[in-house]
Amino acid sequence: MATTTVRRAKSSPWARFMRWASFEGFFTHVVMVIVLFVIFVPFLWMVGTTFKDRLEFATNSGAIVPRRFSLVNYGYMLTAMENLPIYMRNSFVLAFGTVALEVFTSCLAGYAFARMQFRYRDLIFVGMLVSLFIPRTGGLMAVYELMSFLKLRNSILGLILYFSAGVPTAIFIMRQTFLAIPKDIEESAFIDGASWFQVFWRIALPIAAGGMVVIATLSFIGVWSDYLTTFTLIDSDTQMTISVGVQKLRTTGLYESALSPRFRGKFAGEAADATMFLTAALPVIIFYAALQRWFMKGLMEGAIKF
Amino acid sequence: MTVESRTTEPAGRTSTLATLVREFRAAREAKVKTNFFGYVFIAPALILYLVFSIWPMFRGFVMAFTDYRFIYPKTLWAFNGLKNFREIGSDKVYWSSLGISLRYTLMVIPASIVLALFLAVLISKVRHFAGFYRWIVYLPVILPIAVTLLMFGQFYGEKFGFINVNLRQLGVAKPPNWLGNVRYALPCVALADIWRGIGFPTVLFLIGIYGINAELYEAAAIDGATALQQFWKITIPLLRPTFLLILVLSSGIVGATEQMMILTGGGPQNSTRTIGLYFYQVAFQFGDLRMGYSAAMALSLGLVSAVLTTFWFRVLRER
Repeated sequence: MATTTVRRAKSSPWARFMRWASFEGFFTHVVMVIVLFVIFVPFLWMVGTTFKDRLEFATNSGAIVPRRFSLVNYGYMLTAMENLPIYMRNSFVLAFGTVALEVFTSCLAGYAFARMQFRYRDLIFVGMLVSLFIPRTGGLMAVYELMSFLKLRNSILGLILYFSAGVPTAIFIMRQTFLAIPKDIEESAFIDGASWFQVFWRIALPIAAGGMVVIATLSFIGVWSDYLTTFTLIDSDTQMTISVGVQKLRTTGLYESALSPRFRGKFAGEAADATMFLTAALPVIIFYAALQRWFMKGLMEGAIKF
Repeated sequence: MTVESRTTEPAGRTSTLATLVREFRAAREAKVKTNFFGYVFIAPALILYLVFSIWPMFRGFVMAFTDYRFIYPKTLWAFNGLKNFREIGSDKVYWSSLGISLRYTLMVIPASIVLALFLAVLISKVRHFAGFYRWIVYLPVILPIAVTLLMFGQFYGEKFGFINVNLRQLGVAKPPNWLGNVRYALPCVALADIWRGIGFPTVLFLIGIYGINAELYEAAAIDGATALQQFWKITIPLLRPTFLLILVLSSGIVGATEQMMILTGGGPQNSTRTIGLYFYQVAFQFGDLRMGYSAAMALSLGLVSAVLTTFWFRVLRER
C-alpha cells in the first residue's frame, strides 16, 4: 500500500514573508527607501564628515562613509569651542522659557474662551484669529525698535516674550481641548464650592495635558530653529543661541597656530564645523523624534483653521 | 447623565470662523452673566499678543510712510507721505532684487509641489511604516535653518564638497564653484530651500489624500480606469483645496531672506540678492539704517504677496 504524504499548507518563514510583503506594497517600500536615501544624501554626508580626521577629509571627502573613523572632531568641539556651551544653554533657556510662558498663558486664555462667559468673549477670540491673517510687513524693524525701547533688545528674555506672542494658535488649540472635556466634572466641583481657579487648576488642566504637549512641541521646535529674529535682535556672545551661533563658531579658516598643540594638523576645519552643526541640530531632532505624534497633531489642527 | 461635549469640527463648507461668528451673535442676544475672572484669565496672553504682535503690525505699517532712520531717533515719526514709495519706483536695486525674488519663487514652488505630491502619493500607498516615512520626510523642516544652509554650503564646496569631489572622480576636470558662479548660485540656494521645505507640503498632501474616499478609486477601477487615470481624474481634482492651502502658505517665499544671508550674502555679483535680503540690509546694515524706507519696501512686498494670494484663490476657487 503506497502511503501518500499529505501536503500541509506552507507556513515557512519565506511564505509568510511573501504574504506580508504583497508585491505592490513591497515595491513601493523599495522605491520609498531609495528616494529617501537620495534626499538625505547631504545630511548623511555631513554626519559622515564628522567622523573624518584631517587626512581622511582631504583625500576621501566625497564619500559618505569614511574609510577610517575618528573622533578627533568631537574631541575638538567639546574642549576647544568655548562659546558652544553658552550658546547651547541660551538656546535651551529660550526654548523652554517660551514653551513655559506660552503654555501658561494659552491654557488660561483657552479655558476662559471655552468655559467662561464674559462680554465680548467671542468678539475678542474671533478678532484675534482674524488678525493672524494680516501680514506683518515691516514687523521685524518695528520689533527691533520696540525691543530697543523696552531695553530688551540684546536679551533672551526679550526673545522669549516676543516668541510667546504667537499665542493665538496655541489658544485655539487649548480652547478646542477644553471644549471637548465633559462639563459634568466641572459642574459637580462648582456645586462642591470650588472657585474658578481651583476648577481650572485641579480639574481642567490635568485632563487637557495632551493639548499642552502639542503646544509645547510646536513651540519648542519653532523657537529652537529660528534664525532671522534671533540674529537681528541679539549681538552679544552671552545671549546668542546655538541656531545663530553656528555661523560664528566656524573654524574653517582659523589659523593653525591658534589651536592648541593637541589638535594642530589633526582635524579639518570643515569637519569640525560639521560636528558642530550636527550638535546644534541634535536636541531638536531628539525632541521631534520623541514627540512626533503630538507634533503631527498640532500641525493638522493648525491647518484645520483654514 | 449625558455627556455634553461641543466639537467644533468644520462641517462641509462652514469654517470654524463662521461658526464662531454665529455663536457670537447668538450670545449677544441672550443676556450672559459677565464673569470677571474671564478677563483675568485672558489678560496675560492678550497683553503679550497686543504688545509684541499687534503693535509692531501697526508700527510697521505706519513706518512705511515715514522717513525713519534708526540712528537718528528724532526721525521716529517723520512722516513723508508717499515719498518712500516714489523712491522705490526709481530704485534700480529694488526692481532687480524683486526680479531675483520672483525667479527664486518660480524655482522653488513648482518643484516643491511636484516633489511633495510624488512623495505623498508614495507614502499613501504603504500600509506599514507610514508614520516613520511621515516623520522622516518632515525632518528637514525642523532642522535649524542655519544648520541646513551651512550644511549645503559645505555640500556645494568647491574643493571638498560632496558634489565636486565625486564629479572629479567621475572624470570632470573642473567642476564649477557652485555658490560662486553667477549662473548657478541662485538655483543652488533654491535646491537647499526645496530640500528644507519639502516635508510641509508633503504632509499636507497626505492629509488631503487620506481624506479621499477609497470607494472612489474602487469604482473607477471597476469601470476600467488605469492607475494613472485614477490619479489625474480623482486625486488631483480632489486635492484642489490642498493646492490652494500650500500655495497660499508658501507665498512667503518671495521674501526669502535667511537663505541668502547665510549661504551667499547676496551672492556672486549680487545675483542672489533677493528683495528680502535687500530690505534687510537697508534696515539693519547699510548707512543710515533707513527703517522707514525699508518698511515701505516690505509693505510693497506684502502687496505683491496679497496679489499672488488673490490670484491663487481666483484660479483654484472651489466650484
